[in-house]
Parts: sequence; structure tokens; C-alpha cells
Amino acid sequence: MSGRILVVDDSLTVRMNLMDLLSAADLPALACATLAEARCALAEERFSLVILDVLLPDGDGLQLLEEIRSTPAAAGTAVMLLSTESEIRDRIRGLTTGADEYVGKPYDPGYVVARARELARRGDSVCAPGEETVLLIDDSVTFREALKAALENASYRVLVAGTGEDGLRLAADLRPGAVIVDGVLPGIDGATVIRRIRLDAALRGLPCLLLTGSEERGEEVRALDAGADAFVRKDESIMLILARLSAMLRSAGAQLSKHATASLLGPKKILAVDDSETYLQGLADALRADGYEMVLARSGEEALQLLAVQPVDCILLDVIMPGIGGQETCRRIKSVPVTREIPIVMLTAVDDRDAMIQGLGAGADDYIAKSSDFEVLRARVLAQIRRKQFEDENRLIREHLLRAELQAVEARAAREIAESRASLVEQLESKNEELESFSYSVAHDLRAPLRSIDGFGLILLEDYADKLDDDGKHYLSYVRESAQQMSRLIDDLLALSRVARGEFRRAPIDLGVIVRSVAARLAKATPGRDVELVVADGLLAEGDDGLLTIAFENLLGNAWKFTSGCDQARIEVGVCDDERRTYFVRDNGAGFDMAYASKLFGMFQRLHSAAEFEGTGIGLATVQRIVRRHGGRIWAEGAVGRGATFFFTLDSGAGSDFPVALLGLEPPRFRSNLEASR
Amino acid sequence: MTHESIILLVEDNPKDEALTLRALKKSNIANRVVVAHDGVEAIDYLFTPGADGVRNALPELILLDLKLPKIDGHEVLKRIRGNERTRLLPIVILTTSVEDRDRLEGYRLGANSYVRKPVDFAEFAQAVIQLGLYWLVLNEQPPPVRA
Repeated sequence: MSGRILVVDDSLTVRMNLMDLLSAADLPALACATLAEARCALAEERFSLVILDVLLPDGDGLQLLEEIRSTPAAAGTAVMLLSTESEIRDRIRGLTTGADEYVGKPYDPGYVVARARELARRGDSVCAPGEETVLLIDDSVTFREALKAALENASYRVLVAGTGEDGLRLAADLRPGAVIVDGVLPGIDGATVIRRIRLDAALRGLPCLLLTGSEERGEEVRALDAGADAFVRKDESIMLILARLSAMLRSAGAQLSKHATASLLGPKKILAVDDSETYLQGLADALRADGYEMVLARSGEEALQLLAVQPVDCILLDVIMPGIGGQETCRRIKSVPVTREIPIVMLTAVDDRDAMIQGLGAGADDYIAKSSDFEVLRARVLAQIRRKQFEDENRLIREHLLRAELQAVEARAAREIAESRASLVEQLESKNEELESFSYSVAHDLRAPLRSIDGFGLILLEDYADKLDDDGKHYLSYVRESAQQMSRLIDDLLALSRVARGEFRRAPIDLGVIVRSVAARLAKATPGRDVELVVADGLLAEGDDGLLTIAFENLLGNAWKFTSGCDQARIEVGVCDDERRTYFVRDNGAGFDMAYASKLFGMFQRLHSAAEFEGTGIGLATVQRIVRRHGGRIWAEGAVGRGATFFFTLDSGAGSDFPVALLGLEPPRFRSNLEASR
Repeated sequence: MTHESIILLVEDNPKDEALTLRALKKSNIANRVVVAHDGVEAIDYLFTPGADGVRNALPELILLDLKLPKIDGHEVLKRIRGNERTRLLPIVILTTSVEDRDRLEGYRLGANSYVRKPVDFAEFAQAVIQLGLYWLVLNEQPPPVRA
């Protein structure tokens, strides 16, 4: 258990009584008489549970409850309000403020202890006693102590009870591994104890050993009748009892988890609804004597309000009440999923057959005449609670099966998804390999015939020039030019396919460095050109070094090519001052007609004749592919004879433009695209 | 024994063979050129003794294409480098491929040089001339290995 229990009550009697009860139940506790004392205690120590009186001399207990609920450190602390309950709305107020339980005074000691134990261990892993815990029920102290010592010697843990009623309560509360019960007890006898255990879904698998008097054969029959697993005569040696016990425990073997089902004999709460205060009090007293916690409501409306905040185990409902009345209350309770399962017993006047029929029609589970004595009422209530428990258990089992089935289906689905994913990856890999070997063949095998066309063309020109006229020589030069043009196309196509399928690694880079090195290579390749290159500072970006180099080779290569006719060629690379970081490459060259801008980035699209500027129509398609692999987009602006500017971004900007970039749709019209190859 | 200077050209494409031979002729390289049309012929020439039991003279330079029938260029290269008698022979890979993996594998297996065959025949002829000049005139051969 994680902490002590704090009892806050100004009544000395209540404090002493609760401290005794808790101490007897082995639950360490501390008592305070005022809010001030309680606050000090709470500041110093973490309690597992606070049992809190509502009316205290220095203030309202609910105030303290609110403080506890707003203290993060006390998040695991349960609160049980304990109060003289005059109005149902006090109860509702307490529960909605965050109390875990509300017990009215006068309280049933057994109920308070059992609930205290439940609440105090909530949040801990339930530290249930092991299978070796034995509950011993016997009223003879001498025999009890002797047997207890023997059991403990044999390393069992032992719980003891002096009466059948106490024994049942302990069994429900602590769930021992076995019960040894004396046949003759002051209240209910041993056979009855066993019978009640057998009627409880949570306990019925519990092995029970009945101790019988020496010569009473009839008692043995009754014991077996009640469902005992074994019986031993009390005058036999204690060793025999131990042997029977251990055999019984062995055969008990695998039973369902002991905590799966709430015990029938555990703490139960009953809501009684009646407008007659006298009848209500009488009823409450009678049922409290059986250990039930009673919640009293004076009208159907009150009952519904309470049920909205606190579940109960059974409802006793008067048919004739002012306000919405019993039938309507019953109908409403049965129409709400969370309260539908609560058994309802209608209370009717003895001769009111119509009311009975209407009550059952409204969904009540049972009815009873108000004039019946409380014995009958108690039996009916117990029967209803038991029925509910069986239903709960069945539902639990169904849910368990359903959950298991669901898990199996989910597992199967997950496995299938994984398998199909693996097969897709495999397919993709094999497609990539195919593409790879295709590209390789293209690279190698398409070039060889081109070399022959070009080579033998040249040989003809060199060796057989005297046999060809000028037209013939001219045609041969066309043959050679075509071969060389096709060779460039192949090179560009290969580069494009490498851009699409190659590795992609994003890292911080300085685009300025790339731009300058590409420009240096261009300058070296065209020694006659004088181009002014302006590169902005701070062209930092995140991208793939290799791919961006290829992009700038194409963009700067284009700018270089299209400024070849300029007197003062100027190429500028920079970044726009915007959130998206839009980079640009601007030249003052031939430019292009915006009317054809939509064709710019298409494969093999050219806006200039080969005579003006040569090219394959693949360069800008390659650049666009590189930009898209970065999640960015590219567009262009220009005018004929007034240069061109290419803009691009390198990430989606996490904005609404992302899907546009992803789908490769055209950017807005006013910045329409430029040609692919120019 | 007088040393006849031989170039071994390993080339399966007859047109490329013709172009290469013409380029060599035009550059006034007078060496005898032996042509192997696939990897097996190249290996046979280098390692298999003739009917008279005499092995062919080793070439001073091997021009090796990579994509060859039967045994490819990389495998030929591996066998030449794996044999004591031939492991120091200068080998120039002369191929259409400029794929990274081909270049890497060529150098890894011990090629002395890797030259791409340009499509433009004028450039191709220029490359062959430079190769001949460099490897047969400028470059000093390793001393002959006694088998």
C-alpha cells in the first residue's frame, strides 16, 4: 500500500471508531479533527485515501476536497466523503467536486472498511494475497489459534473470522485462496457460508473445507449439499486438515482470475426512492443491517440526478410519487446505457395490480408490495444483485472473447499489411533494377551505332571527298550533326533518370559555393565569353549537394547560353526577401515569350530554334525534377529580348502550397512557367 | 630476341574496330595491332600456347572494351592482373560507359587508365592518337617478366 489513510472528522466517537476499524483491518491511519490539522498533515505526507467529514468546525470539507484535487502531487489520493446526509444534492455536490465515494452517516462499518481498502489500493497494482492465503472461520478461539499456528507453520498466510458474516465479508474483500469453515457458528452456519460463496460468481471457485462435529453424520451430508469441496471431523488430527487442504488447493488448479468479477458479498450501494420519509428510514435501517450502503432520494428527479454522478448496485423505486413518478423514472433509467443494467425493484401497494403491471412494463426487474416485511425485501434485493452479477460476468466473458477475436483480426491485418508492403518494396526494387539496367544499356548500346554513323561519315568526307559534290558533302555533315545531337540527348536523358532515381540526402549547404564553381567551369569551357556574375551573400539552404549542382549547371548553363548575344552579359543569383526563401537566377539574355511559359518545363520542349540556340529540351525538366524532390516548386518570368528569371523554393514551406508542389501543378498564372530548354 | 611491339585491341564491334584501327593508322603508330573480338579470344591470345607450343608475344598495350561477349572486360582484366606473367601489362579501358560503377570496378581491378569513347569521331580519333603517343612513346614500360 502506498500511503496511510487520513481520517478527518470533528466527532471524537467517529474518529475513534474509524481508527479502530482501520487498525483492525491492518490499514494504517492518522486522525485529524479540523481542516487546519488536515492541511498540515497533507502538506507533510502523501496519503492513499482521505476519509473526510463534510461539516467541520473550521470550514467546509468540500473546500479541502477541492484543494486536494487541484494539487498535482495528491493526484493519486482517493477521497471518501462521510457525512450526515440530509439532501441528495449534498451527495451530488460532493461527487461532482471530485469525491471517489460518498458514505452517509450512520455508516455501516464493514462497508466503510471494505471501500477504504478498495480505494486505498487503487492505483497500486492490486496486491492480492497469494493462493496460499487461507481464511479460517471458527468461533472457538482455542481451536482457531491452534489451527492458525499449524497453518502458519506450514507457511500459509491465515485470515481469521469469528462468525460466518465476518468470514464472507473478508472473503469478498481479500479473496483468499481457500476457506476452512466450522460447521457450527453463532449466526449463519458453515453450510450457509459455503452456499453463499457458491452463489457468488466471483468466489464460487473458492475451495471450501467444512469442519464438522464428531458424530453428526447429517451435517456432512448438508456440507456436501451446500457445495463443500471437502470435510474433516474436528476431532481428527490437525495434520489431516492440512493434508486435505493441500490436496484441495492442488485440485483447485487453474481458476479464473479472482479479481475479474466484483464479488457479490463485497460492498454494495442501494438507492431507495420514496416520498415517504418514514418508509424510507425503515427500509434504510433494515438494509443497512445487511451491510448495504444506503442512498436515499425523495423523488424520481433526485434519483436521476444522483445516478448521473454515481452508479449504484440496485434501485428500490416507489411507484407513486409526486413529480415524474416511479414508472417514468424507471423508464428513463432504463433508457440510458450506463444505468440500464442496474436492477430496479418497484415498490407497490399490495393490491395495486395495475401499477405492478405498468411498472414491469416500464422495464422494472421485479416488484414487491410495500406491506411485505423487510425479510422478503432483502431476499429480493439479494436475488436481483446476484442476477446482475451473473449478467456482468457473462458480459465480461463475452467482451473478453470479443477482444481476443479483435486482437487476432488486428494481428492478421497487420501481418497482411506488412507482407504486402514487403512485396511492394520487393517489386519496387526489382523495377528499379530493371530501370538501372535499361539505363545502362541505353548508355552503352545506343552510343556505339552513333559513333559509327559519325565516324564513317567523317571517313567518307576525308577519304572520298573527291567523289562527292558539295551537296553530298553537305548532307554528310547533316548526318554527323544528327548523330552528335542524339548523343547529347542520350547524355541528358541519362542525367535526368539519375536525378529521379538517385540517392537524396538533405543537408545544410551554401548555394553560393555551388554557383561559383559551376560558373567557373562554364567560363573555362567558353574562353571567349565575358559574363558578369553577381552572387548574393548568405545563399544558405537545406538540400542535396549533388542534385543542386546539377540544377545550377542547367540554370546557369541556360543563362550563359542565352546571354551569348549580349554586349554586357549579366547573371545574378540571389534570394527573395520572403518567408519561403525563394531563390532566383536572373539573366539579361534572349528571354522568352510569356505566352509559351507553360511549355517551359516539359520534356523536349524548346522555345528557340536549334539555329538560334542549341539544346535538347531536357535541362529544365531535370531542374524541375530536382526542385520537386526537395518538395519545392519552380517558375519563371521573362520577356523576349529582356532576359529571364527563374525562381525556385526548396521546401514545401509547410503551407497550403505543399499539395501544389507535390502534384506538380502549375504555379499561379501571373508568374507563369518558362520553357523547358529555351 | 627482337621485340615486336604489339597492341592488343579487345573490341567486339567491327565498326568500332575499324574506326580505332583507322585512327591508329592516321596517327602513324606503326605497331602491329592484334584484335580479339571477345573476352575468350583475348585470354586465349595471352595465355594459350599455339600448335607449336610457343606462346604469343605479349603486347605493349592492351585497349580493352568492357561490354564483351562471353567473358566481359572486367573479368579479362581480373585474369590478366591475376597472372604473374601479365600482371604488369599496361591496360587502358576504352569504353562507351561512364557509369560510376564501371569506372570504380575498372580501377579497382587494376586498369592503368580509363578512357571514354566519344561519339564524335574527330574527338575519338584524337583520343586514340593521344593514347598511342602516351603509352607507346612517352611511357616507359616495366621490364619484361621472366615466366
